[in-house]
Amino acid sequence: MTVEDLSGGAGDMPAALSMGGALEEFKEVEEVKKLIADIVNIYKDEIAVELTVERMQCIFASYQEQTHLLDRYLEDLLKQLLEIVRNPDVPSRVLHLAFKLLYLITKTRGYKVIVRMMPHETSDLEPVLSLLALQKSTDHEHWETRYVLLLWLSIVCMIPFDMTRFDGHVKTDTGDGRKTVTQRIIDTGMQYLCVCDKSRDAAAYMLSKFLTRPDVKKQKLAEFFNWALLAMKTADVSTMPGTIQLVGVLTTMALLFKHGKREDLVDYANTVLEHVVVLKASVTQNTVLAKLSMKLIQRLGLTFLKAKVANWRYQRGHRSLAANLALTAPGGDAEGPSPSVGSKEGEEVVEVEEEDYDIPEEVEEVIEQLLSGLKDKDTVVRWSAAKGIGRLTGRLPQELADEVVGSIMQLFTIVETDAAWHGGCLAMAELGRRGLLLPARLGDVVPVIIKALNFDEKRGNFSVGAHVRDAACYVCWSFARAYDPDQLKPFVNDIASALVIVSIFDREVNVRRAAAAAFQENVGRQGQFPHGIDILTTCDYFAVGNRTHCYTDLSVYVAQFVDYTTVLIDHLAHVKISHWDRNIRELCAEGLHCLTARAPQYMTSEVLPWLVSKCLDMDLTMRHGAILATSAVTHALALQAWSQHKEIADLVDKDTVENIRNVIPKLHEARWFRGLGGELMKKATCCMIHKLSLAKMPFHDEPIIDIWQRLLDDCLQIIDPDIQESATVALSAFLSEYYRQADGHPKSQEQEHLMAKYLEGLTSKTQTTRIGFALAFGAMPKFMLEGRVQEVMSSLVEASRLTEKEEKWVESRRSAVKALTSLYRTEPADLSSCMADLLSATSVHTIYAALFDAMNDYTLDSRGDVGAGGSEASMTGLLQVTSTLTIAEPSLITPEISRQLFCCIVQQSVEKIDRTRAHAGQVFSQLLYHSPEIPHIPHRDDLLEIFPQSVLDSVIWIAPLSTFPLFTQLLALSTYSYSVLLGLTVSVGGLTESLVKYSAAALLDYLRHLASDREATQVFSDIVLQIFRDHQKVDRVTLPMLKMLDQLLANGCFDVFVNDDHSFPQELLALSREEIRKCGEPQKLLASINVFCGLLQFPGKVRTNTLSQLFLLLCHKYPLVSTPSL
Amino acid sequence: MGLLTILKKMKEKEKEMRLLMLGLDNAGKTTILKKYNGEDIDTISPTLGFNIKTLEHKGYKLNIWDVGGQKSLRSYWRNYFESTDGLIWVVDCADRRRLADCKRELDSLLMEERLAGATLLVFANKQDLPGALPSHDIKEALELDNIKSHHWLIQGCSAVTGENLLQGVDWITNDIASRIFTMD
Repeated sequence: MTVEDLSGGAGDMPAALSMGGALEEFKEVEEVKKLIADIVNIYKDEIAVELTVERMQCIFASYQEQTHLLDRYLEDLLKQLLEIVRNPDVPSRVLHLAFKLLYLITKTRGYKVIVRMMPHETSDLEPVLSLLALQKSTDHEHWETRYVLLLWLSIVCMIPFDMTRFDGHVKTDTGDGRKTVTQRIIDTGMQYLCVCDKSRDAAAYMLSKFLTRPDVKKQKLAEFFNWALLAMKTADVSTMPGTIQLVGVLTTMALLFKHGKREDLVDYANTVLEHVVVLKASVTQNTVLAKLSMKLIQRLGLTFLKAKVANWRYQRGHRSLAANLALTAPGGDAEGPSPSVGSKEGEEVVEVEEEDYDIPEEVEEVIEQLLSGLKDKDTVVRWSAAKGIGRLTGRLPQELADEVVGSIMQLFTIVETDAAWHGGCLAMAELGRRGLLLPARLGDVVPVIIKALNFDEKRGNFSVGAHVRDAACYVCWSFARAYDPDQLKPFVNDIASALVIVSIFDREVNVRRAAAAAFQENVGRQGQFPHGIDILTTCDYFAVGNRTHCYTDLSVYVAQFVDYTTVLIDHLAHVKISHWDRNIRELCAEGLHCLTARAPQYMTSEVLPWLVSKCLDMDLTMRHGAILATSAVTHALALQAWSQHKEIADLVDKDTVENIRNVIPKLHEARWFRGLGGELMKKATCCMIHKLSLAKMPFHDEPIIDIWQRLLDDCLQIIDPDIQESATVALSAFLSEYYRQADGHPKSQEQEHLMAKYLEGLTSKTQTTRIGFALAFGAMPKFMLEGRVQEVMSSLVEASRLTEKEEKWVESRRSAVKALTSLYRTEPADLSSCMADLLSATSVHTIYAALFDAMNDYTLDSRGDVGAGGSEASMTGLLQVTSTLTIAEPSLITPEISRQLFCCIVQQSVEKIDRTRAHAGQVFSQLLYHSPEIPHIPHRDDLLEIFPQSVLDSVIWIAPLSTFPLFTQLLALSTYSYSVLLGLTVSVGGLTESLVKYSAAALLDYLRHLASDREATQVFSDIVLQIFRDHQKVDRVTLPMLKMLDQLLANGCFDVFVNDDHSFPQELLALSREEIRKCGEPQKLLASINVFCGLLQFPGKVRTNTLSQLFLLLCHKYPLVSTPSL
Repeated sequence: MGLLTILKKMKEKEKEMRLLMLGLDNAGKTTILKKYNGEDIDTISPTLGFNIKTLEHKGYKLNIWDVGGQKSLRSYWRNYFESTDGLIWVVDCADRRRLADCKRELDSLLMEERLAGATLLVFANKQDLPGALPSHDIKEALELDNIKSHHWLIQGCSAVTGENLLQGVDWITNDIASRIFTMD
């Protein structure tokens, strides 16, 4: 195998993992077999060994989520590996390698499955045991060997023969004095119980299997318990070795009480319980120990009580209709000679009547411990406790079981933490699943669980409770499995509504999915959930994945069923409206908007008045949610009204309209626009103005309009771009509704007032204000500009101009460019009013000049090339303006404009920032193929040839590899060569590795074709010098220029000039010298040194002069500079 | 660990069953197992120890444990009881002399706490031999009708010819599958 194979393999891994459950079969089986077969050959080569291990890791990792695919082949693979390790003469490195691979397989598939496949003949015992004896427990490199050997021993030691038989054999061989096999196994196990690697787990598993054997149990179990109890008593959990040993001991005990026979162990249970209870109190800080103690306690509890078999376990569990139907079909299904069935399905197995045996008092202690474990801070401990409660309660008589339920119910109070609620839910689910919650209790339990389904406890600016809600879904799921439809009937509607709500409206995707799964289980098993099938097929696992989809689409779908309509609406209006997450409140408003159509009457009469009343609530989140929701519902109701040819005022009563009108003034009065939460209120009210304007609320020419206007003006000047954005959106709707006269003209007084203020805003001394008003002009409906176009345009052009004082104000310039662009965005309705102004030659000239200027924004600040945003906006603007003009008045596009336009775009298409280049590329292709055709495109035919439609369809604009080879071809076209080379210079001499690599490759490739063509090289070199000259001392261009020249010289691009006394090298030398004169920047000096060295290839005067220049640099004061000069 | 994790685990575990195959020595347990597995049954010697085979049947994964039946091994049977879903009890119908022995062993198994609730399938094996008792006689002899604690079925079969082996395993799989699965 080669390194390439490996890297290829490693690359597969994330792909396979990301595919989730998409693998179909174990494809690599042959490769794995070959790798295993090869280990005897390659073991001496460490690199090959490492490659093998990594390849195996990679292969098995990709099956981690679908391990069952391996099952068919596991036996063969194990056999192959075990054959290697069974060979007594195998070199130890091969042995360890084989075990390492065995471990890999084991950890992928799980040890319980692998253990079953290991050989367990009597003849295996001695070899395994002696191999294990040869291992050193401190050898950190080969712990896998010990781990797998111990696992192997755990199955070998299950052979059904008396262990003493092996000893007899041993005695004759080696004489007395050797330990018995039993003792050797136990000693080995105990030795590894105290190690810190994974072999401890295997040792615990092995010991638990071995010590419960009938023969070993008699001799050794008591001894082991003595040792273990002593270890528990003396364990020092403050040290690492103490903790490790305790983990080993507790793991073994927990497994012992699981595997062992109850009657054998019950004698020890009491003492162990005493010890573990004491221990548990001291290990609360250590999660692992706390969990193991909890596990041991529950197993002890189970040891005290006899198992009972649930008598209903055949009753439910038929999920599919087909299975249910098949059951009622008459006749047994077993055929053949005289089959005889003992108890048929449906018939009760007579339960062994509840004997009146005493419940040992220890059980009470156990239950107490488990109940307190439900509140533990660690999830794993709560889980263990919950499972314990479930199992234990199953063995208790009915009245005691009910007491347990009562105790669990006490966890669900306000004073308890989220952990207690979570633990309580888990316990309820475990009980429910086992049918241990008496139907009589359901009346108490269901309301609590429904509360838990909505559990969300605020903690500062976040919240806890997702785990509680998930666990509550688990409870609902378990009820579905355990109860008869009749028993659940009284609660079906409550559970169904609650689950639907959670599955659609929960914040967390896993909870939505859990609720959807619980709903499905209920529909399948209970069959009486209203509209269950329809809902579960629509709101399935995948559909509930996207939250927005849930709120806006699924909710509307479910609301068509009357059982759910008002429940859904009420949940949003009363619960989610004050959710702590702002995004949820926004979605909630959106959801209510969508749901309005399902119940317009209910919305107008009940929901809207309530929402309005909450708009002035003391609680900020509630207020925010209510304002958003009020606005959204009002808008939705307006849409309803119009569909019935009515107005909003016809639907909503006067008081509500009045209250809505008063919201913003009252917020002002209460000073809720200031201080903490003020920004949130501002954004919400912008949204309100927007929606109410869309709803055409009958507030025209009222004082409230001025209040709104002032609020929007304020919001436009807020530094938060979110608020500016909302204000801009609102402004557009607001102006269209309240400042437009019926004839489509603006109300002149308002227009006058607004223009004065906004135009002044564009010259503001604060950047934020400028941005805000530029945005406002961008969003302004065209009718407002009537008669003022020239004025607005020149102000915006002014604001888009790069001035020395405001050099860093990139955002305000960009907003101005965007606003200019939007002037030319055609909206058919507005065409008439200002089109004439926009289509004059002066306007066109002004706007193009402004946009071309904005293109050259190369501003840098601490964030990097911030100017790029301006260039991109200006390209979008050029596209928009040109497109509009080409359609409306193509004659306005002069050849000069067209030339400049294409040169600019082409230059941007080869510059260094990926995103800008991609944008330029797209603009370029749209311009080139614009329909109708843009006039006067220079070299249009050549362009079409280089960029045929088929190429444009497939090119990836953001990838340098695919765009540079295309654009470099434009170097041959005289109009473009300067612009292309200017752009290329920056890229070829740039910093990004891939960019430099591909752009340089494209350029060199182009020049290679020129190589012998003196004429063309002459033209090219002239342009190079021209660019150099034009940008003398402009670092942005000259530093990359020097770097590019170095590459060109080094690649012999100017070889044709070497032998005649051409002026190019001389001029280049002069320019480079000039460039580094009085220059203190090391980067540039270094680059120039490279160029000078390149220039040495030209003989004669150039060489002499260059050398003297280099000597000068040799004496440079910066050591960094003088060293490379050598 | 959330509900979705539980469901995933459950789905995997629900599809697995553990069956324990017991019976007196020479009843034909290993032959039945080999027959199920499609292996050659010509050379079968007494099982010294135990075999584990994993089979796919009706979409379920059956882990069948076959433990030797010799008298000395029987006391070790209970080593293998843990989490058993179904018990397959194999009877040699031609061995009339040891039927009482057979009944005693079965009865003691059914008393076992850890097998409580497991489904019981009795294979009345060796029906191909001339002197074999028919299955209803075996039912009488073992007094199966008295068993109330387990779902059970007796099925006459022949491991050598393969007769009715499938019906038996079909029934036991169905019976186990129709219980509510609680993942204990």
